[in-house]
Amino acid sequence: MDLSVLERVNWLQQQQMVSPDFFEILGSDGREELKRVESYLGNNNDEMQGFRHYETIDGCISRTSSFQMEQVKNNEENRVIALQPKRKTEGKTEKIENKKKKIKTEDETESSMKGKSNMSNSETSSEIQKRDYIHVRARRGEATDRHSLAERARREKLSKKMKCLQDIVPGCNKVTGKAGMLDEIINYVQSLQQQVEFLSMKLSVLNPELEFHINELSTKQFQACFTDLPEAVSKQPMMVDASSFPLQQHGSLDYSLINSNQTTILSSQKDQTSSSWEIHSQCLYNNLRTDSVSSFFSHK
Amino acid sequence: MERQIINKKKRVFSVEPNKIPPSEVFRRKYTSHLVPALKKLNMNKNSPQINQLSVKHEVDMALALSAQEFSWSRFLLQKLSSSNNPTTTSSSSNGIRIQERSGKEGGGDEDGETEEKLRELQKLLPGGEEMNVEEMLSEIGNYIKCLELQTIALKSIVQDTT
Repeated sequence: MDLSVLERVNWLQQQQMVSPDFFEILGSDGREELKRVESYLGNNNDEMQGFRHYETIDGCISRTSSFQMEQVKNNEENRVIALQPKRKTEGKTEKIENKKKKIKTEDETESSMKGKSNMSNSETSSEIQKRDYIHVRARRGEATDRHSLAERARREKLSKKMKCLQDIVPGCNKVTGKAGMLDEIINYVQSLQQQVEFLSMKLSVLNPELEFHINELSTKQFQACFTDLPEAVSKQPMMVDASSFPLQQHGSLDYSLINSNQTTILSSQKDQTSSSWEIHSQCLYNNLRTDSVSSFFSHK
Repeated sequence: MERQIINKKKRVFSVEPNKIPPSEVFRRKYTSHLVPALKKLNMNKNSPQINQLSVKHEVDMALALSAQEFSWSRFLLQKLSSSNNPTTTSSSSNGIRIQERSGKEGGGDEDGETEEKLRELQKLLPGGEEMNVEEMLSEIGNYIKCLELQTIALKSIVQDTT
């Protein structure tokens, strides 16, 4: 079976053996890189050719020992891949990062693949990583002295981490540039911390009335809450962000939030008012959500 | 390097069906730490008013205990256990920080601005000021994740009691 690299990775993803984050790491550029790699190694339907590029691209992991791409063999391999998921991701990202580096390392893999044993595989991958670390090839028109190379390597690491953070923090995709993204991240962390505070305050108020039904909570309930995560997290920060910028024109909303807190403290004795607090907070929440969304983005 | 692997581990779907996803693990640990602590608080103080700061203390403690593979959690644990008085709330300092930031944004050169923002981020992360920038950025990633999970857990606890 002569699968192209992309098809294979897609197939693996369907089998849930490749994390979706892997694709994010690759990004859209990554898929182009994969295509470029294919074209570089020749995307012939020739069996020999197919075997060769199949092996080299999946370099550190796959170790076909024969030409026959039978279904059985594929499954075996994939099990091997499944057992070493981390190594694969790292190996692949390391390889695919820089254009010039990649071609060089693939040449090396090709030559060293002839060993065909697990040990040499792991050695190769670590070798590649070591080599990547040392051989930072200067791109055209850039300074080649040691300091700027080190500086550039450091900057690349930083930007890689920033990209990871971009995936975690919602809404970071719209802002470009380091400063803007850092702003977003700072805001997000602050709003999360404020939320935790808010919730713990609520908890402290409700504490006397607590009946601990934790044991009765089923795991399904936990999971249901988890699927709500993207929604909940995107809604809540809006709510808290409005209150964290009191200087803006939404000062009135801020006051209403404070007022509701005070009513909670005053009415903590009665059961009925605790439910009204819930309703009140719901209305507040809805208002804040609709108004603050527009203001939040217009502020930016 | 190990920590990076652990970070990636958190996001990878596990192949084996028996394994519990790490977010679920965190959640269970968190609730198992927080709920008994709250119970204890409840029982110890007979007065109806429970100190808000002590609840915050317990909340932070539960967070630190459920995420022990990260360095920020170790720092947080240290801070919590060493101080007798619970840590002050961060909202006031947040407000000041925001105003400072908006003031300085006008006249900085780009590098200085980024540096400053990184420093601010360091202040937000517990123990961030003692790490170098790279390490801090990866720690921030999993700190955010844990905070998110924490808010979900807290919300579900609060919802259950009302």
